[in-house]
Amino acid sequence: MINAKNVKKSFGKNLVLKGVSLSVKPKEVVVIMGASGSGKSTFLRCLNGLEKVYSGEIYINNVEITHNKTNLNLVRREVGMVFQHFNLFAHLSVLDNITIGPVKVLGKSKEEAENIAMNLLKKVGLEEKANNYPDELSGGQQQRVAIARALAMNPIVMLFDEPTSALDPEMVGEVLSVMRNLAKEGMTMIVVTHEMGFAREVGDRVVFMDDGQIVEEGSPQEIFTYPKQERTKAFISKIL
Amino acid sequence: MGGFFSVIWQNLPQLLYGAKLTLFFSVVVIIVATILGLIFALFKISHNPVFKKTGEVYVHIFRGLPLLVEIFYIYFALPMILPLHKWFDPYFTPIAGILALSLNEGAYITEIIRAGILSIGKGQTEAAYSIGMTKYQTMRYIILPQAFKRMIPPLVNQFIQTIKDTSLLSVISISELTRQGQIIISTTFASLQIWTAVAVIYLAMIFTLTGISGYLERRFKIDKR
Repeated sequence: MINAKNVKKSFGKNLVLKGVSLSVKPKEVVVIMGASGSGKSTFLRCLNGLEKVYSGEIYINNVEITHNKTNLNLVRREVGMVFQHFNLFAHLSVLDNITIGPVKVLGKSKEEAENIAMNLLKKVGLEEKANNYPDELSGGQQQRVAIARALAMNPIVMLFDEPTSALDPEMVGEVLSVMRNLAKEGMTMIVVTHEMGFAREVGDRVVFMDDGQIVEEGSPQEIFTYPKQERTKAFISKIL
Repeated sequence: MGGFFSVIWQNLPQLLYGAKLTLFFSVVVIIVATILGLIFALFKISHNPVFKKTGEVYVHIFRGLPLLVEIFYIYFALPMILPLHKWFDPYFTPIAGILALSLNEGAYITEIIRAGILSIGKGQTEAAYSIGMTKYQTMRYIILPQAFKRMIPPLVNQFIQTIKDTSLLSVISISELTRQGQIIISTTFASLQIWTAVAVIYLAMIFTLTGISGYLERRFKIDKR
């Protein structure tokens, strides 16, 4: 479903991705871990074209998104993304945040989009907040709305870029539980996170990145209990 | 004391006619300058080097020159190389005035709009892209509505400036408020009374605009989202 081949990316002279290859099967939940600066967020952002790759190829559902002629807007409709800082549209109500994509991008009617949005809000437990504005919600609530906004586009894969890193500890749980349910329903997910518990419980595969490369990958069990590489061992011992 | 006000009273219709022209030029210039400002602001933030440079050159030139020089240039100098006064006869004078003012105010408005757009965090753009919005949709539905609220105070400032700047049109014999004042004084010599009346009319127009902007700010809850 997702196939990245030898992806390289540089910011100026600084090569931040030194050839990353990863393939993800439908319904798989892949957790990417690694120290900050290891390139994991950059790699994730390459997967929906928010960052342009320097070389290498990325295929999503057999469409090469790294090709010059690919219409990225069409690709992004199918790739949901959740950001560390939520990035809800500050001038729109919770409901409008969720409906604007289906209405403006997919051309759905307002009623249909609102139906979808209310169902999604129910799913993330925030029906009663439909008419509030983002700045009236807690961080955890905002992140759940952001997940609903991405889901409203009916994506084939969801990318999560450190979705709980900006949250107060007591709000991490509510966001992870929404993500856990999503995984159970069979959503394909790629999650950049430091949440070991989540990775262990929900992840089918853990990918450990360091210095712009994938150092090691395997089941959560393998990575957390029997890491092979020195760099993985050092990282795991630090976050345990 | 009755004599002090009677000269104003007698000439009030002429002053109000001038005020009407001032209002007309202000409104037209504000509209044209805002459109210019939006276009050149989008040029300046564009990644296309030609657009970007065009926007930069525009702002440099029209913000860099005294407004009075721009008016003289368009009214007196430009017709020497382009027969604008023949093409637009008999409306060349008002058109030249509107053009000069709009180009000048537009340069300032370009910077106001650009600053407003840039003040909206990159995360908003990325979020819009991530749900498949085009650049146009992102600008139209996500960035500009948020940026506009932040632009209201500096824009109102610029609009007030515009109203006052229309007084310079008196130098090319456009019979706006200031010019009417001069004309009346040339026959009545009542400088104190007439300039007082002119000043009061200008203030009335500007207070009205300030009132409207206060309403807009409350309506859009500027200090909130």
